[in-house]
Amino acid sequence: MFNLIIGQYVPIESFVHKLDPRSKLAGVFLFVVVVFLADNWPTYGLMIIFCLAGIYFSKVPLHFVYQGLRSVLFIVLVTFVLNLFFTAGGPLLFSMGWLHIYLNGLIQSIFISIRLLVIIVVTTLLTLTTSPIEITDGMETLLAPLKKIKLPVHEFALMMSISLRFIPTLLEETEKIMKAQAARGSDFTSGPLKNRVKAIIPLLVPLFVGAFKRAEDLAMAMEARGYHGDTGRTRLRRLVWTWRDTLLMILFAFLTALLIMTRS
Amino acid sequence: MDITFEHVTHVYNPRTPFERLALDDVNLFIPSGSYTSIIGHTGSGKSTLVQHINGLLKPSKGRVTAGKITIDANEKKPNLKALREKVGFVFQYPEHQLFEETIIKDVCFGPMNFGVPAAEATTRAEESLRLVGLPSSYWHRSPFDLSGGQMRRVAIAGVLAVHPEVIILDEPTAGLDPQGKREILHLFDKLHKNFNLTLIMVTHNMGDAALYSDQVIVMAGGRPVMADKPEKVFAREEELRKIGLDVPETMMFLDKLTAKFGAGQISPVFTIQETADTVIRLLNGGLENV
Repeated sequence: MFNLIIGQYVPIESFVHKLDPRSKLAGVFLFVVVVFLADNWPTYGLMIIFCLAGIYFSKVPLHFVYQGLRSVLFIVLVTFVLNLFFTAGGPLLFSMGWLHIYLNGLIQSIFISIRLLVIIVVTTLLTLTTSPIEITDGMETLLAPLKKIKLPVHEFALMMSISLRFIPTLLEETEKIMKAQAARGSDFTSGPLKNRVKAIIPLLVPLFVGAFKRAEDLAMAMEARGYHGDTGRTRLRRLVWTWRDTLLMILFAFLTALLIMTRS
Repeated sequence: MDITFEHVTHVYNPRTPFERLALDDVNLFIPSGSYTSIIGHTGSGKSTLVQHINGLLKPSKGRVTAGKITIDANEKKPNLKALREKVGFVFQYPEHQLFEETIIKDVCFGPMNFGVPAAEATTRAEESLRLVGLPSSYWHRSPFDLSGGQMRRVAIAGVLAVHPEVIILDEPTAGLDPQGKREILHLFDKLHKNFNLTLIMVTHNMGDAALYSDQVIVMAGGRPVMADKPEKVFAREEELRKIGLDVPETMMFLDKLTAKFGAGQISPVFTIQETADTVIRLLNGGLENV
């Protein structure tokens, strides 16, 4: 749960970490699109090599990547099995009762699994190497053109960063209140379900009261410091586009070209 | 209810990058009926220490005994409810735990959880609210309409209504004005004397620790570095300063005065009365008379 929301950002230094969030976001988006260009062994091989290179240059320990994969491995497996049995064509490999596996089915399911896996690896890599705040900043800048059609991009980004900022605070608060109520004999972990559900009220009420109070305080503090929305606002952490980002973009252009040329 | 710590070690988030040793082989004894203060720098392990007493935290190594109940790192948790009925806990900013529609209902929450019948719980609640000095005209109002100081008293009444033998106070006066602070401390002093309650108070205020308690435990780096009578602990001024702590204001004042008179160190005094007496003796005839 915790990992899902906060992202599993691993704060180390690497080539991938130093990339601008804008180029990373654009890169991941592009990657997810070009994956669908792959349709034979060389092209899928290319995607895998690209992923492995990404993991290598991010210096993220492998088990973190695996943790990101673990939760969706089941979906990959189901897709694999479905495609295995329901795609016909090519020589028959295996047959039992009404189950038939054809060569095309096998190849197809391997391809689809690879496709899913590389997409997940690349997106996991994004969250592993980019802090949530960076991602928000990057998104805000990338989506800035939408302001032209009156979409509140800045407000969305602000809401997102505030929520991200307060998740740890709320978790801490929850733990504190749970302890305080447990000390008064409230029981969250044992007893019949009905009692346990009832025990949630003494937890939720103070939590909400606290959250509203904090929101009010925050609004006040922001106003006191002259916050007035998007217009004329400058940034403390400017996003800087470096040669690394240009390199990544060139790499992607190269990858796309290579894919178009080698696909059958 | 005696409380004993035997080789207690506590590690937060073990086997992760966030691993942190909070308590390091702690051995302590808190006798029944005593008033113990625990002082120490932020992060010295004070709060972690006291949360072991009523089983909110389980030791990573070692064992904690409170009365007849023992929590051992290697054994399954015993019946914590029985333990928590005996050991009340007033958290820092306890007003954050209020949730009921009316004050009296909130105070009843504790006793009802421990199986006290509703009628009896109400009697206890009224009695506790009287103890903390909240007039009965308030009892059927919402706790959220009260001022900060009043809310804290309601929260304290909620702990008292359980009728614990031991009460742990985690900085009970944080954020209160001087008047409210004095009232709360007087209340606990009274409870300690009248009902023979065992009190354990975590505090940052050296003066409170010196004035009220009969044992002071000094925590530093997850270990109790001193555990003695206040006069003995605060006589070790140099050592306290080294770990970022101070002595009570009365002593600071006398230190400056004796330095001016060229006299040596004097024995610790904590009340205004004693301080005044010392000053008089000092003025009348130098250190020999102190």
